[in-house]
Parts: sequence; C-alpha cells; structure tokens
Amino acid sequence: MSMNYTAEDALQQTYDAVVVGSGATGGWAAKQLAEAGLKVALLEAGRAVTPKEFTEHMPSYKLKYRNHSPEVVRTRPIQKQCYACMEYNYEWFVNDLENPYSTPPGKPFTWQRLRVLGGRSLVWGRQSYRLSDTDFKAASRDGYGDDWPLTYADLAPYYDIVERYVGISGAAEGNEMLPDGQFLPPMKMSCGEVLLRERVKTKFGHTVTIGRAAILTQNHNGRLACHYCGPCERGCSTFSYFSSPFTTVKDALSSGNCTLFTNAVVSHVNMDNEANKARGVTYVDRLTRQLKEVRGKAVILCAQALESTRILLNSSTREYPNGLGNSSGALGRYLMDHVVGAGASGRLPDFKTLPDANEPQRPNGIYIPRFRNTPSSNKHSRFIRGYGFQGGAGAEFNFSAEGYGASLKKAVKEGVYGMSLGAFGESLARWDNYCEIDRDLKDAWGIPALRICMTHGDNEAALMEDAGATAAEMLEAAGVKDIRVQAGVEMPGMAIHELGTARMGSDPKKSVLNPFNQAHDVKNVFVMDGASFVSSACQNPTLTMMAVTVRACAQLIDRFRRSEI
Amino acid sequence: MKRRELIRAGVLAGAAAALRPPLGMAQSTALSSELTPAQSGVDASKDLAAPGWKPLFLDEHQNETLIVLSYLIIPATDSPGAKEALVNRYIDLVLAADTRETQRAFLNSLGYLDGESMRRFKAAFRYLSREDQDDLLHALAYPRNASGWTGERDAMPDTGHAHFQALKQRIMTAYYSSQIGEKELGWDGAFAHGSYEGCDHPEGNHK
Repeated sequence: MSMNYTAEDALQQTYDAVVVGSGATGGWAAKQLAEAGLKVALLEAGRAVTPKEFTEHMPSYKLKYRNHSPEVVRTRPIQKQCYACMEYNYEWFVNDLENPYSTPPGKPFTWQRLRVLGGRSLVWGRQSYRLSDTDFKAASRDGYGDDWPLTYADLAPYYDIVERYVGISGAAEGNEMLPDGQFLPPMKMSCGEVLLRERVKTKFGHTVTIGRAAILTQNHNGRLACHYCGPCERGCSTFSYFSSPFTTVKDALSSGNCTLFTNAVVSHVNMDNEANKARGVTYVDRLTRQLKEVRGKAVILCAQALESTRILLNSSTREYPNGLGNSSGALGRYLMDHVVGAGASGRLPDFKTLPDANEPQRPNGIYIPRFRNTPSSNKHSRFIRGYGFQGGAGAEFNFSAEGYGASLKKAVKEGVYGMSLGAFGESLARWDNYCEIDRDLKDAWGIPALRICMTHGDNEAALMEDAGATAAEMLEAAGVKDIRVQAGVEMPGMAIHELGTARMGSDPKKSVLNPFNQAHDVKNVFVMDGASFVSSACQNPTLTMMAVTVRACAQLIDRFRRSEI
Repeated sequence: MKRRELIRAGVLAGAAAALRPPLGMAQSTALSSELTPAQSGVDASKDLAAPGWKPLFLDEHQNETLIVLSYLIIPATDSPGAKEALVNRYIDLVLAADTRETQRAFLNSLGYLDGESMRRFKAAFRYLSREDQDDLLHALAYPRNASGWTGERDAMPDTGHAHFQALKQRIMTAYYSSQIGEKELGWDGAFAHGSYEGCDHPEGNHK
C-alpha cells in the first residue's frame, strides 16, 4: 500500500478546516470533511507509518532482549506501564524524556501517548461499546454531575455509520445497558467462557457476551478478516483491526481534498482577536524545529483529550487569559479515566484441555456489561454508577508450575485452564481532577507541558471493592478454584481512557463546548475527541468518541454549506 | 503562547536537536533511528551463539554455576534443555543492561545457593555431585508452610525458597522465550492457524 504525502508550504493556502491529530477521531474528521468537499489540512505530530514496520509475525526470540529491552526502560519509563509498549514497537510511543508532564506529590498519573500517524489507534485495545441513555442521562437518575447535552437517539445514527465502516464484530444481546449495533459475526467463546455465560445468567441474571471488537471476522470494506495471529498492537499486515492510517486517513487523502502534514507539533491556535475567530494553528516542525503556521476557517482539535486541552490552554490571548474558549473556567476540569484494579482469577481443574502453541489466537475476550444501578436493578447503597468486566478463559502453559527438572517441563506443557475477570469502572467527573499548564516545564519543542492532578475518589474505590467480590462470586458459580481477588484502585491513567477537560454542555457558563463540539466562546474552534465527554460511563470510549466526531462533522458540513463558517 | 516565547523556547530545544542527525528538510517517512530494531527487521536470534562469546556481566564462576543450575531446572529430556538454549548467555545479556539493584539481587540469590552448598557440603554448588545438588535443590524448591500442630506461624521468612524462585523464574523466562523453548511448547513456526473455533459443546457440558 502506498501513500502520497505532500508537505506543502502552509502559508500559501487557507484551508476550510485544520484538523489536529490523526488518530481515531482526527481520522474521522478528516475523512468526513474532505469527502464532503472541504479542503482539509490534517496535522500529525509524529511521522508517517508503513506496513513494513509491522512486527506481529516476529517471534520474540528474534529480539535482542526478547522483550526486556533496556532501551524501553530508559526512554519510555512511563510508556512501558502500558502492556502494548514493548521492544517490538516502543518507537511508536512518545519518548518520555522529550515529552514530560508533571504531577503533584503523591498523585501519580500515567499518560500513555503515541506520536505517529494514527496515534493510539495503532495499538488500542479495540473494544467497542455503545453508551446508553442510562449513561447520557446519568445525572438525572442519581443526582450527581451533569447530563450530556445529547441523547442516545441523537447519537445512534452516528454509531451506525461508524460501526458499518469500522467493522465491529459482536453479538446482539438486547441488554439495557449496552445497546446493540451494526455487528459483523461475533468471535467464538472458549468452553470456559460459555460455561461462565450459562452459570452467570442462571445464578445472577447477568449477561456475559463476547467482546465487541473493531476486528474483522469477515472481509469488510477492502480489508481482510482477522487471521488470529494474536498481537494486534504490533501492527496488522491484513489491516484487520481498525486503525486510522489505513482506513479513514487513507480515504481522506484519496478524496484529493486533504493535505497531510506529518511532524507538525501543534503548539497553539492563532486568533484573529477583533473578529473573535481562530485563523489557524502554529506548529513546530518536529525535526527542524522551525515554526510554521497553517491557516484555516475552522480549527478542529482531535489531539487526544489532554493534548487538545493543552493546546487551548497554551492559546491564551488578552480576551481569553486562562486558555482559549475558557470563559467558563471549565477548560482542563473534570478529567476522567476509568478506574481499574479489581477483578478475580482462578483455574478450572476439571477442564482437561491442554494448551496448544498452534491454537489460533483470538485477540479479544468476553464482556459483562454493567449490572449495578441499572434501570432494572436496585439502587446500590454504597456507590453510584457501575462497572463492566472484561476477561477470558482458556488453557495456558503453566509457567508457575512447582519444582524443577523433567517433571517441571512436563507440568508446563500440561498447563492449567485459567479464567479471569477485570473491571472497568465509571470515573466520576470532578472539578478537582484537572490539568493545567506547568509554567516551569516545556517539552523538547519548547511547548509548555501539562501538570496533571487527578485521584480516584471514594466512589471509585467502592466500585472496585464491589467488583472484586462480584468477580469472585461469578467465577465461583462457574466452578473456578483457587480464586484470587484484587479489589484495589490503580493510579489514574492506567485505563488509558482519558476523558473530559473540555466538556460539552448547553450552558456556556458551565461548559467549554456546545452539544456539537463547538467552543461556546469561539465559534470556529472545535474539540472532537474524548475531551468533550461529560461523564465517562464505564464502557471503552473510542467508539463513542468516533460517533461524536462524525455527528459534529455532519453539523459542521451543514454550517459550511449555509456559509456560517 | 506568544510567538516570541516559542522562538526563545525553540533555542533551548535546539540543544536537544543538535544531538540528532542533521536534516535539511522535514521528512514524512521514518528515520532509521525512529524504528525499533524489530521494526527495521533486525534478527538477533543468532547473537548469543556467536563464536568467542564472553559474559558481559557474570564472572566465570557465576556463569558456570548458572549453567549447572539452569540445566538442573530445565534438563534435556526428549527435547534440549537450558544449556542447549544458552539460557546463561541470555540472562547475562539482560542483567548487564539492568539496574544495579536487580544485578545485586540476582547475585545474592546465586550466592545464597553457594552459601548453602558450602554450609552443608563444604564445596561450591557447581562442584557438588549430582546427588548432592539434587538434595540441596529439593530443600529449596517447595514453599514451606507452618505445620499447623502448634497453630504458630513460621516466624522466619522462607528465604531459601524465595532465592530459588527468583533464579528459577529467570531461567524459565530465558528458556521458554528461546527458539528451543518455543519448539518445546510445540509451536510449529507458523503465525496463522486458521480461524478461532471456540466451544462447540452442547449446553451444560464444557469440560
């Protein structure tokens, strides 16, 4: 596959739209706007990526350190906290030495970032779930926080568009908390997972379903079905999982209306103060360190929640001294990341299935949608909202077998049949969880860095405590033995689901964006990524982020047609 | 941020830029330095077998002790063992690049083995008879629990077992991540093995 990227002089043209970021949401914005005939500049802070650098079929014994590289430890001490950052692909992740951020003492936050075309869509977990009206109207139900300024009915048509294009494999369940979508055939469950599904339904009435994943189970939109090799996060030579460079960005460029600028590290939005309009963005060329400007009639930030907000905070003017579009004071506030750290695991001794090194590797697990504080369940006495479980079951080699010698080698191959569940819980939107510019810290390009202040609270801790116990009960119901329970709270950032900091809302005094992701204060500035979320729900957010982007783009295209921009 | 501030900041950033290879213009494709060795297609699987290999971190006695120990933990059976898989060489490579703390912890564990050996048999572990080596390892290989007769918990931490586990885990990781180890697990060397078929049992019967 070849791509023709042109880096043209930015000063020569005013684009209709400047899109900052080429990941899951930026790719969609570029595609939708360019295919509608708008002239789009797509800016990516990193380099282009080609299938030649995919390593999903390289065995680890070909790596010098077999995935224990000291280079990863030295240059990615934060990034390596993500399971997907490894000796194979660490150059896709940011170099932590060049991309600093600060946190207050005792409040660690791990920030996982990629700066390469496609961003985190190259390594994401691919789990794709719709939110329901119980999520969009959560505040009305339990009195905490704010409702979204949109409903499920508003977003449903855009979920459809995204799912049909991306290709989401999954099973319809009719679950009240997890609306069904446009699914490709579901992946299959293992024997242990089917057993869990049956027992959990019988004993607790809860649903266990196969993960809804942005991985193709049949050929779809010119991409091939998954070949079950396993490690998606190292790239996919058949493009079977959804990543933007080989789908949305490719479409945007094919339209002839999109110009891609790689290595464009955007520092701030440029304003025409008299007209109260953005006139484009300034970026630092990542390699030459030269400053350049790209002009546009609309500026669309899709840089990832914290990065988009960082750009706005770094775009202060006399009129907006606390960050562009921040007359509400809400910019940077209400940072969320799903709480993780609870679950349970054990083994099914009756299962005689042996582990098989040549078994097809299913890059997906099972999902148990939220069952606490739902329309059909009682209100929980100790917490609001809820959590979902991800997990799986299967035969594994037993690398923790006891003893030594020939019997150890044998025991490793006999394996164990393991089962585990891990919770993702809702992170409440709190004013006290925020990011701001650290005046004493700059990145390698001289751009002021963020100070991130976030802790999970009592509600998150209560969710995790409950999740550990319910995970154990469910495993027990399936006959699992030697159950080990975790019921802690991991540091924020570990779910890699950063949301909020430029929330949507109908009231300009309380929110940064209107219900169509447009800044209340500056009408041609948009934030179309996770920054716009009002609440986090507990489902993996990327599908919703993409649907929100497509909806906002549809409205923006209309406004262009009516010459309102 | 003001343009002037950015330019000033850019001057400072220039110091970092000077460390990079000079570039006349922006490139959109990857520089070789921006690909991992794996992404550049480097195959390091033969490195450890290079003739004239010498340890980077371990001394000769430590290296020989590790070879003897690793072969006891993963011997050749109907498949090659830890010695053939050059487990000692991989462990040496990783340790050489690791922190002092980790290096010291490893040497402590290896030293514990020799200490026990000297205490019980008056000779270093690698010089013991196979029988005595087995005798010593057996005492360390399994966790000890309180007897339950008195209801008292073991006051002493199980140091010997902890050292054994630390060494064993390193040896296992090294062995099963080697080409020999992958083969021992039965891997046929192919990356795709058809579609994932999952469970096809009737309801309620899944063993």
